Amino acid sequence: MIAFSITCIYPVFWMFYSSLKTTRDFESNIIGLPKAIQFTNYTYILTSSKIGYYFLNTVRNTAIALIFIILFGFINGYFISRFRFRGRKLLYTLYMLGMLVPIHALLIPIYILFSKTGLTDSWYTVALPNIAFNLPTSIFLIESYIGTVPREIEEAATIDGASFSRTLFTIIFPLVTPILVTAGIIAFFSCWNEFSFSLVLLKNQNLFTLPLGLTMFKGIYQADYPRMMTTMVIAMVPALIIYFSCSRQIIRGMMSGAIKG
Amino acid sequence: MAVKYRTGPSKIVMAAYLLPSLILFLFVVIAPIFAAGYFSTFRWPGGKKMSPVGIQNYIDMLHDSIFWHSFGNNLYITVFCLIGQIGFAFLFACLLNTKGLKAKGFHRVVSYFPVTLSAVVVGFTWTMIYDYSYGILNFLLKLIHREDLVRGWLSETSTIMAVVSIPLIWQYIGLYLVIILAAMTSISSEVLEMAEIDGANGFQKAVHIILPLIRGTLIISVMLCISGNMRVFDHIYAMTRGGPGYASSVMAQYAYNVSFMQMNMGYGSTLSIGILVISTALVAASRALLTWLSRKGAVE
Repeated sequence: MIAFSITCIYPVFWMFYSSLKTTRDFESNIIGLPKAIQFTNYTYILTSSKIGYYFLNTVRNTAIALIFIILFGFINGYFISRFRFRGRKLLYTLYMLGMLVPIHALLIPIYILFSKTGLTDSWYTVALPNIAFNLPTSIFLIESYIGTVPREIEEAATIDGASFSRTLFTIIFPLVTPILVTAGIIAFFSCWNEFSFSLVLLKNQNLFTLPLGLTMFKGIYQADYPRMMTTMVIAMVPALIIYFSCSRQIIRGMMSGAIKG
Repeated sequence: MAVKYRTGPSKIVMAAYLLPSLILFLFVVIAPIFAAGYFSTFRWPGGKKMSPVGIQNYIDMLHDSIFWHSFGNNLYITVFCLIGQIGFAFLFACLLNTKGLKAKGFHRVVSYFPVTLSAVVVGFTWTMIYDYSYGILNFLLKLIHREDLVRGWLSETSTIMAVVSIPLIWQYIGLYLVIILAAMTSISSEVLEMAEIDGANGFQKAVHIILPLIRGTLIISVMLCISGNMRVFDHIYAMTRGGPGYASSVMAQYAYNVSFMQMNMGYGSTLSIGILVISTALVAASRALLTWLSRKGAVE
């Protein structure tokens, strides 16, 4: 068990301290600690590549997707859980179908559809599949959570004269934040790490995301491991920070998501 | 007031809330399936020229040895991962459940960490580990004086599938560990204590008591594992792009190559439909089989 735990984090440490080595230092001793810590790899990568763009693009794609996943997930979860309207079952089945569809089977058809409608290579391009493919899980989570919120709260608000939308967003929304956070965390990692749709839908290098950018670096720094590792460290750091600062919540959230999904 | 809430707000308000997400979902998830069905009936080299060929693409797919080889690789990875991920996860979960082990929280947090990494990062990390001159693996082999085993791990056709499966197993053990652990902690400690009094050892406890009690969770894990491995793409793309040759190609990688390297969108669409049908059928079949097995087990 201890050995396994070590294999889980050692590669990350290896990359981290190797990124502080010179190429020469690395080649003479691949697993040794750096002889002298130097940040030239970082300054080089940050100034001579487009990693800043990739970083901002990933942040933007993830942020847009998260806002809509939570908003849409909340609205759909609420309506499906609370009301018996016509087509409710159909709507629910449709979204649950989305969890079963193997997304890579849709890689090519989505590319064709997006390029025919001129949706490729825009700032919002990758956010669209990110939203659509994470929506089912969050609807599922939110829907079952809203079932536990007592109906009397809405009724009381209506009697006090609050409109439907007002009740929805100022009364119910804050009440369900725990599950929204869980759904948001699950969606965060999936959007931050998204690769295949960026790969087929983006041609403009200024729009590339971090995982896609990494595949570019692999070609350029084939033989220069410390530099390659530097780019990977830069790409990993935000996810690393988020994971280790709220790992308890993440593990709990992923569990409920995984078991239900 | 209560009546009003059962029926909900007016139809227009409702539509205004539900339609935006529905339209997006239909456009991104459902429409492409139909589009693929339509485009799969054409010979279409990407440009303007499309010539209808009927079901010829489907006939080609049935005779396409690379496609079936890729499907075989998907199966290979799935079997490997079922044994590796769920087996190790079960073992580690048992270990984490014993009293002797220290720093349990630490192990759980650390072993889940790879799950949150990007598949591309995982793929490249292992590419570096496997590297001929600068990889950790060959370094360790030299350290224990097994120079005869040193090789370019990602370029040997005969072992490539095992080599690319290991990072996949490694990345997701934590996920199943956490799921199985959750199921184990819900087993009441009385049951286990009783077994101990009756003289059961650790192994007997694991096989005869824990295993049957968490059967439901194991079935879910197996389903997750199968459906997850039918869509492997990112790891393979990052590590080998299906190479050498088509040795480590999986279905999604092959469909990608056909569509974007050979610019054959019609046939690519056909392959997409093929992947869709095969994975759905496989997931459905395994679900039926496992439910049947568990019912049979429950009767016994």
